[in-house]
Amino acid sequence: MKALLAKCGLVCLSVIYIGCTKDPLNNLTTGESRIYITDHDSAISFTNYKTYSISDSVAVIENGQSRRQLNDADQAYLDAVKKYMNRAGYQMVSKNDDPDLGVNVNHIISTSTGVISYGDYWGDYGGYWDPYYWGYPGYGYYIPYAYSIYSIKEGAISVDILDLKSASVNENKKIDVIWTGLIRGSGIFNTNVADSQVQALFDQSSYLKTN
Amino acid sequence: MKKNIINCCLLIVSILFTQSLMAQKNPLTMELNYNYSMPLSGFKSDLVSNGSARGFRGSIMYPFNNKIAGGVQFGFQDYYQKYPRAIYHSGPSQDISAVISNSIQTTPVILKAKYYPLPDSYVRPYISAGAGGNLVNFKQYLGEFGSTQTNFGFLAQAGVGIMVPFKKMSTSGFYLGSTYDYAPYKKDGYKDLSSLNFQAGINFEIR
Repeated sequence: MKALLAKCGLVCLSVIYIGCTKDPLNNLTTGESRIYITDHDSAISFTNYKTYSISDSVAVIENGQSRRQLNDADQAYLDAVKKYMNRAGYQMVSKNDDPDLGVNVNHIISTSTGVISYGDYWGDYGGYWDPYYWGYPGYGYYIPYAYSIYSIKEGAISVDILDLKSASVNENKKIDVIWTGLIRGSGIFNTNVADSQVQALFDQSSYLKTN
Repeated sequence: MKKNIINCCLLIVSILFTQSLMAQKNPLTMELNYNYSMPLSGFKSDLVSNGSARGFRGSIMYPFNNKIAGGVQFGFQDYYQKYPRAIYHSGPSQDISAVISNSIQTTPVILKAKYYPLPDSYVRPYISAGAGGNLVNFKQYLGEFGSTQTNFGFLAQAGVGIMVPFKKMSTSGFYLGSTYDYAPYKKDGYKDLSSLNFQAGINFEIR
């Protein structure tokens, strides 16, 4: 009887052990699952720039390969970036009108079971966005920082702002990436949420303004 | 400091074992307790401020005489807290907006002694002390993106409570008690996982 009681007690404890742990992922809403990361060149004053141009499509970067696409969700992200760049005081111009800033939007996907580091994403940036597109054939890109400690397991949207104003006088023939924003989490490749996702990036980048 | 406490515990256990050889043979008892835990100090301010109702403690105790018992205690507690979305500066120029969730599971295993100053009264108060190890599993999520650390640390415990026997002079009965658990945790700038705990349960003879 005593042995049976002891065994029952241990079984109960085992059940409690397994059952009483709260899983954090089950307690997150879709919105709470998302994170927004921004980084910028802190030596730059964004008030020195007045105009920008934005790419006409989104680079889909999947396992180191890229292609351009423009579906409804991509267009929604491009429109949202234009909206918040304009709200920050920047004037959109054609890329042929010598914009001070260039803006690229990227849709990053990993379908492998491995992990793609953000450093890998930067590694072939010139392959995704040929500097020729921005009028600088023979140039490369310079990214002074990287989200090396973060990894992309499923998918992400990134928005990059390039310093075209200084590119023509850059002796190293590099186009500097001076601001970047990353959106990660569930349900982000969706037309309905594009505006709020981009707004979150701009809201936490109060220095991104013309005056 | 830790070494001194462990040495003291070993000394106490040795003395108690010697005493037990001279005492009459007593039954081994098992205690099973539900445990509610309240984080304190750095644990509360830095990681989890919510109390945890998800825990238990169990122990196997040998009554060396009618006043002193010693044995091993094991337990489990799950702590969880989700903090509202906020912007965190993660570098000189980097900002992260995220909902942070901290999930911590502790599994202490300690050597423990109990002293019953009034062994013949119907309600038997006791004080307890113990020390040992604490397996800590710490998961932190930024949104849905998490990282896990598992560490084994030190834990010292002091407690008070009462035991109400099922019948007079029985070694089995109900328990109500409280313990203070001191658990240093020097990782990533955190200080400790100390907590105040409340237990309710039973004990019964197993041999």
